Parts: sequence; C-alpha cells; structure tokens
Amino acid sequence: MSIMARLLGWTFATLAVALLVPAAAQAQGAAALPRAADGKPDLSGIWQAVTTANWNIQAHSAEKDVPAGLGIVDGDEIPYQPWAAAKQRENFANRATGDPEAKCFLPGVPRATYLPFPFQIFQTPNHIAITYEYVHAVRRIFMNSEHPRGPLEFWMGDSRGHWEGDTLVVDVVYFTGQTWFDRAGNFHSEALHVVERYTPVTPYHINYEATIEDPKVFTRPWKISLPLYRRIEKNMRVLDYECYAFGLERTWYRPPE
Amino acid sequence: MRSRFPMLLPVVALASLIASVAVDARQQEPAKPYAPPRTPDGQPDIQGIYNPVGTFYNIEDLEYQSLYQNFKPNPSLSGKSLIIDPADGKIPYQAWAAEKRKPIYQLHGDPTPEYVDPNAQCWPQGVPRHMNNREFEIFQPRGHVVIFNMAHHSYRVIPVDGSPHIPGNVKLWQGDSRGRWEGNTLVVDVTNNNDQTWFDVMASFHSDEMRIEERMTPVGPDRIEYRAVITDPKVYTRPWTFAIYFNRAKDYGTELYEEACVEVNDRNMELLKRPGRN
Repeated sequence: MSIMARLLGWTFATLAVALLVPAAAQAQGAAALPRAADGKPDLSGIWQAVTTANWNIQAHSAEKDVPAGLGIVDGDEIPYQPWAAAKQRENFANRATGDPEAKCFLPGVPRATYLPFPFQIFQTPNHIAITYEYVHAVRRIFMNSEHPRGPLEFWMGDSRGHWEGDTLVVDVVYFTGQTWFDRAGNFHSEALHVVERYTPVTPYHINYEATIEDPKVFTRPWKISLPLYRRIEKNMRVLDYECYAFGLERTWYRPPE
Repeated sequence: MRSRFPMLLPVVALASLIASVAVDARQQEPAKPYAPPRTPDGQPDIQGIYNPVGTFYNIEDLEYQSLYQNFKPNPSLSGKSLIIDPADGKIPYQAWAAEKRKPIYQLHGDPTPEYVDPNAQCWPQGVPRHMNNREFEIFQPRGHVVIFNMAHHSYRVIPVDGSPHIPGNVKLWQGDSRGRWEGNTLVVDVTNNNDQTWFDVMASFHSDEMRIEERMTPVGPDRIEYRAVITDPKVYTRPWTFAIYFNRAKDYGTELYEEACVEVNDRNMELLKRPGRN
C-alpha cells in the first residue's frame, strides 16, 4: 500500500473516532472546556486535522491516491499577484519533486497543522510547545513576548502567543521562502506573516484559523479555517516519522540470526 | 538563523565541553542533598537549558575528544571514559559485535556512507546520546518531562503519569520513555528503541532490543547528575553504565532557536563523494 493510501486510511479512521464525539460534548456545553490553573482553556493533549488540505488547500476533485476535498481557504480563492499565480501553476506541474514535503523538509506553518499526522500541545502560562510527529518538527510559542530582532529565517517561523478570551492567538514571522502550503504548489515568500487563532469549542475540538499575509506574493491577506480533533484513543501517543531516513538504514552491525 | 552545516556542530559542542572541563563522574560527589523547587503539578523542578559535560566523539576514551579541534589526541585524558561500569570503561560487546566494530577505528575519519555518524545525517540521536550532544532544554508541563535538543530540533516526551509503554514491536528513533520521580531523581525506562542510533561517532552500536534505565538527579541548582544503565542481551555480555553531568547554561538566554538539519543534508552527503567512493 502506498504511503498516501495508508495515510488516507488513517485519516478516515480518525474521522470515524472524531464523529462520535460531538453529541456528548455539545450536551455539556462550553462551560465544560478543560481549564488550566490560570483559568485559560487547557489545550494540552494530542490533536490532528482531518482534511485533504495537505494535497490541496483549495477545493479539488479526486485523483488516484488523492481524495477529493472542499478546501480550507475562506471563499476558496487565494489572491495571488499575477506573477505568483503563474509560479503556482509551474509549481503544480513540478509538484512531484518540487514539493518540499517530497524532500522531507520541515513543513512550515500552517502546513504542519494539517499534515495527516498527530501533534501534541504542552501548555504552561508562559510557554506553549507543540511537538509534531512529522520529521520531529517542534514549535515553541512564547507568550506575551516580542519577536526577536530580525532578519531571521526559521523553517517553522518565530511564534509569539497571547490569549484573547478563550482564543490562543499566535503571531508567526521569520519564515523561509522554501515551504509550500500543500502538494498543489501553493506557496509564499520569506515575508510570510501568519496569525493563528486556536479556539476550543468543546473538550475535543479546536477551531483553527490562520490569516495569511505576504505582500511579496499576495494582493491581500486571506484566511484558512479547519477543525482540529482531539485524539482520544487509549494510550495515544505521538510516534515518529523520520521521512529522510527511510531506505537508508544501517545493517552491517545487526546481530547474527 | 538558517540551517547550519551539521558537520560543524561537534566543534560548537566541543567548545562548550572545553569550557566546562571534562569531568570524571566518579570523582564528583554532592556535598549535601539538594532540594529543588516544585512545579505546579508537584514535580521536582529541573527546568532550564543545560549543557552536557561529556563527549560524543568516543565515550570509551576521552583522549580522542580533541580530534574535532586539531586532530591531535590529548594524552592527559587517555584512559578516561564516560562508562563507570564495567570498571575498564569499555562497552562490554559480545565477541561478534567487537569484531564488527573494529573497522570504525580506521574508517571514522573518512567514512564510507555506512560508517557515517547517523547524527551527521541529521537523524534523531536516540537515548542516551540525546542527552550527550548539544545544549538541551528540560520543560515540565503537567504530567510530563519534555526535552528539546538544540541539535536538529529533536525532542523527547517523557510522560510521568504512570502510563504504560507502547507495544514492543513499534520501534522509535528516540524510544518510548516512561518516567517516574523517586524522591528528587527522575527515573526513565526507555524501550522500543530502533537499532539505528549510536552512542558516539565511533559506531558504538546496539540492537533494537536495547533497554535503558536513566536516572537524572539534580545535585545543585545548576547541575544534574545523569546515569544510564544500558541493557541489550543481543549485543553486550552484561549491562553497562554511562555517566555524565549536565550543567545549566546560564549565559545562553532562555530560548533555544531552530537548527534545521536534514534541509541541508544533501550537501553534506555530496561532500562524502569522491572519486572511487560510493
């Protein structure tokens, strides 16, 4: 079975779990949100998106090993500048080798959020960490602090967070221009600025929104939104997916049978 | 900061090592027990950024740790080892395993791909090397100890909530860690290790049956004593114990930054290709 087919199977297994949750959660209402000691919603735990956005963040038909999807872009329109629209079409044509995911590179933000792999949120008042299963990507979100002085370029950007009511707002800058939003060649430059909003709506669901701004590539800011689902399986844990190492394992020192 | 060239990382690590002076763990004992503060969930609080006082060049003989710097051995450290048991400071390989490892002493300086240090290929370090590599940060959110390494952003998540290990056939680069506090000592049982990580550059290897018991004891506000008992009935004749210290990196600041690694790896592997080589 191809990796894509396996991940697809996984995604639907997750979906099946996720669909069972809302009725019970809604009965309890918003008051049932788990809270940290400081009164903020407690986002701690393992989460995963259930979406086809990693293939294409816009609406798309099915292809072999690609499930159809309605996309995560508000209005389904990405406001590319004319040169960038042409560049995206070129990326799409070269996507098999051009996609940084095919090279096992760090996925960037927001793509890390909707890759078909789980991630874990660790929350304290001053510092939130996210550990991703995919290529052991990590984000450190420092609360109520300033971005350092640039210029800097990080694959996962520099994240600074604060709470607006029950919403965790994360401002992310200092990206590389080398990550894509999906396998369809949607892209940005190093001038990318992402503002993420994590709003828990039940103990098992987070509404995730991200405003995407990049004056070098787009004519205006645009927005994506998708739900995140809590992975509630017994003994659930983030495992590993060391993309680059597959097929390169050392065998010369394996014990004799 | 953009991706760095991982072959240079050892130099950086060595600089910090030299600064803190190699310590023979056997000669250092705490004057009196240290009582660390507590986290909100009651764990002994050992959070912060630390430097390991060790070497990942050759854990069996510190004489050669200076090779990264000037390719000249340092005889004053000859015979010193990070292994405190057995007493000879050597990894107790079974005969076949000792035989397998012999070529590495000739090949490590100019390795063919199968002898390249996996760490130089940006793969996760595994345990215990994750604790003996670069600056790392200990973070203690509720119910967990999370350790972030500076080198290629690798991390370990250690639940301290009594949860059980995952099924044994699942192999992980960093293993499956489950911790508990015995007084002020964090005791971690590490299973589910794959067989792709080494303890140092010298191809000190293990099988996927390796099991590790780690003990991390804060002996002062700025120092943690680390012991790892390593068991692998497929490769060693007996369990052995690896011991180093972690010193708080006081001048480092409070935030580790991202060091991407795989992202520049192709260039590193290109550098290994020369005429007549694979």
